[in-house]
Amino acid sequence: MKISLNELQSVCRKAFAGMGFAAGHADDAAAMVAWMQSYGLDGMKALNEGLECVVASAASARPNVIYQDADLAVVDGQHMSVLSSGNLALELAFAKARIRGLSVIKIRHCRQRQLIMGYLSRLADRGMNVTAFWRHSQTPITEQVVGFRANSSVPSIRVFELAESPDDDVPNDGVTIVMANHFDLLPTIRSEDEYTLLARHDESDLLAARHHALAEGLTVDPEVWQQLKGFAAKTLVEASEQSRSGAGPAE
Amino acid sequence: MTELTHAFDASALSLRSPATVMDLERLGSFSPTRLSFARRLTRMMFEQKWQVACTELALDASGHGKAIYRLQTPTRRYHVVIFSQHLEDDRRTDRVIAEAWDLTFCLVEGEVDPELMSAMTANVPLQEAGRQHPRLLVISRANKSLRTFQAFIEALAAGQQPNIEHLKQAGYLYRTTAVYGNGKFGIADYDRVKGSEDFQQPFSAQMAAVYVLREFSVDQVEHIAKQSEPGRAVTLNKDTRRYLGIGNSTGLGMAPFLINHPQLISQWVWVRERALAVAVSQSPTEGDREKILALCHRATAYLADTRVEDEPQRARNVEAHTELTQVMAWLEQVPLDDTLWQQLLDWAQTQLSLETQELLTTLLIELYPQQVDSLNDVMGADENLDLTPDMPLIQLKQILETHFDWAIHADYDCEDARYWFWYQSAEKEEPRLGVRGEELGEEKELALAVAPTAQRVYRDLIQLLDEQPRALTVDLVMAFPEHMRVIRRIQTMAATVYGEIRANLWHRDMKPMHLLRAKLSFLGAHRFDPRGDRWVRVTFFQGAPLLSDYADSSTSPDVFDDWGFPVAPEAELTAAMP
Repeated sequence: MKISLNELQSVCRKAFAGMGFAAGHADDAAAMVAWMQSYGLDGMKALNEGLECVVASAASARPNVIYQDADLAVVDGQHMSVLSSGNLALELAFAKARIRGLSVIKIRHCRQRQLIMGYLSRLADRGMNVTAFWRHSQTPITEQVVGFRANSSVPSIRVFELAESPDDDVPNDGVTIVMANHFDLLPTIRSEDEYTLLARHDESDLLAARHHALAEGLTVDPEVWQQLKGFAAKTLVEASEQSRSGAGPAE
Repeated sequence: MTELTHAFDASALSLRSPATVMDLERLGSFSPTRLSFARRLTRMMFEQKWQVACTELALDASGHGKAIYRLQTPTRRYHVVIFSQHLEDDRRTDRVIAEAWDLTFCLVEGEVDPELMSAMTANVPLQEAGRQHPRLLVISRANKSLRTFQAFIEALAAGQQPNIEHLKQAGYLYRTTAVYGNGKFGIADYDRVKGSEDFQQPFSAQMAAVYVLREFSVDQVEHIAKQSEPGRAVTLNKDTRRYLGIGNSTGLGMAPFLINHPQLISQWVWVRERALAVAVSQSPTEGDREKILALCHRATAYLADTRVEDEPQRARNVEAHTELTQVMAWLEQVPLDDTLWQQLLDWAQTQLSLETQELLTTLLIELYPQQVDSLNDVMGADENLDLTPDMPLIQLKQILETHFDWAIHADYDCEDARYWFWYQSAEKEEPRLGVRGEELGEEKELALAVAPTAQRVYRDLIQLLDEQPRALTVDLVMAFPEHMRVIRRIQTMAATVYGEIRANLWHRDMKPMHLLRAKLSFLGAHRFDPRGDRWVRVTFFQGAPLLSDYADSSTSPDVFDDWGFPVAPEAELTAAMP
């Protein structure tokens, strides 16, 4: 079915609130899903595939900071969705980069990492150069790098598969973000290792996808949509004669 | 937009203070000005030579069926498509919980091909229950003002003009009950609409659709009268057509908009205040004095013509009528001076009601079109409430103490101060008010009350600063993630000139009507007729030019530009209050 971007954002916001997200975090999570969907990156699929995790993450908005100094931070994502507290971890890195020129943050053990792009977009819009990197799987290893130029909400994205796996048994369930206040960090792959490019999204492709979405509406799975509306309905108060008078007297 | 606002403020103009202007009762006394969206639309249509015409009027003898109007602007073509149907009286309600209406309509970008028409025919009459096409910019619905509608048909069918008294009771044949834009139910997102040259300003597409509906309302009654008495029926004369507006019935559903779009509302207020400051800074000529006296006469006649059912509003109108007479006496006696307008405002502030003070704002802005009309181009706002996480907490404390002093020092513990809670009902998500502690749903309260939330932030901030004097804003949001939304809002709104609406939306004495009227005044509504404190009926486009005026090159430019305070065709400008 077709929906508008505003509908998607509005229903997601209410759905996250219905799951138990605090108001500001429901706003952010909804914007993250809507951003992905509007650029043709299937945010609804990313949301739906980890919906149980999102529901379980709803009440845990406070990230667990394991280490931080002026330039670096390491945060434990506690195997929760990035929708629940990714925004705060990223604001922490943003503050450090604004003060120190460059910052690095590692969010360990987090889920639904694709969705973090929506929040990175907002930080880029606020004048920050941003690059995020994560590995998808162990064998074969696939890597994703996403780069935003400062003051642009549209990234460049590269996903590639390495021909050979290094000797490494650290779980690939984190994401590393680098922010720079004064120089760009766009992804240009230069590697001596053999790799296969699996996906490449440039700014122009993504902008075209967004224009199309705004002109024609966004296509979503009706079942997922209904599921979100079910969560959203939890924010509504059952009607009664008394509540009807709460909107003023009938004419 | 914020930068623009600040750039303007660097000038020597003296703006009224946020404490004065953002007071809820004053906002609830605002009148429409020449910068309101309805006035802007008719000016733009004239300047850009829009061509609007009815291309199809497929109605049966009862006026039911379909009508299409084509709008051709310099750059694009649009259509307004209207579906009119029979409606049983017991189904006619202005509330959002209604499921059927006398008519439904939409504004479409581009041509109406058979496929689109088929989709619209199936969905537009359903409104919220339909799945609307993304080429629709606006959807809306309207109900008849039954007595006026019937009286008009009977008079025209009998070969007579209707009694103008009907339009003093209700200045319209139809009133809309919701006008949806911005992606609602599948229609086009505002992100797309604001890229167009024609509708980039807020609510401009909605106003265009409503304006065309006014024209249809006349075409329809004339059609029904002619079908009823083909040999005898006459058409409505031009003066009466112009005096006919289009109504609107608005409830609490509008209130959350003002709270959820603080940057936009602050910008609208800034534009209005900037226009007032520009007007007050002008050195008045004798001609200016004569013009404002003429406007005062017209405004008193308008008030005398305005019949409202709500007793408190009627009393406010009577008081304003009386006070305008005093204003005219003042204007005739005080010597012409460079500071005349400032003297007038100073005198009004101490001696006159808020209703009259804000009427004077409207009149002063009306005097100087060349100096103020360009402000219409900056009524939009980039709406991003962003965090500044690296802001030292001590600075955030100072911002709260400077810009939110009205909020952080108030008492929210007494029963009256936390009397109401706002929530959304399962019935079409209608916003409603409940009494805290008495009604169900408090745990699902909408977070609309900014003031008490700002106070909670302030208290937690003080505590954190005691422990960490060099803490940053990000430390506060990490410690209290639930404050994220309001801290963003505090930081963002502190950078605007007018900031927040200064009210405790929980308070027992809070009047939602003030919120509704503030927004409606910017849209261009007049004849405010509250029904209790949560519903209001208003009129748009009464006195506005007709489509035939645009098509007639001999029409005076004043017809398109100077139609504030509409007066009944035969009214005397010195009319007494009834």
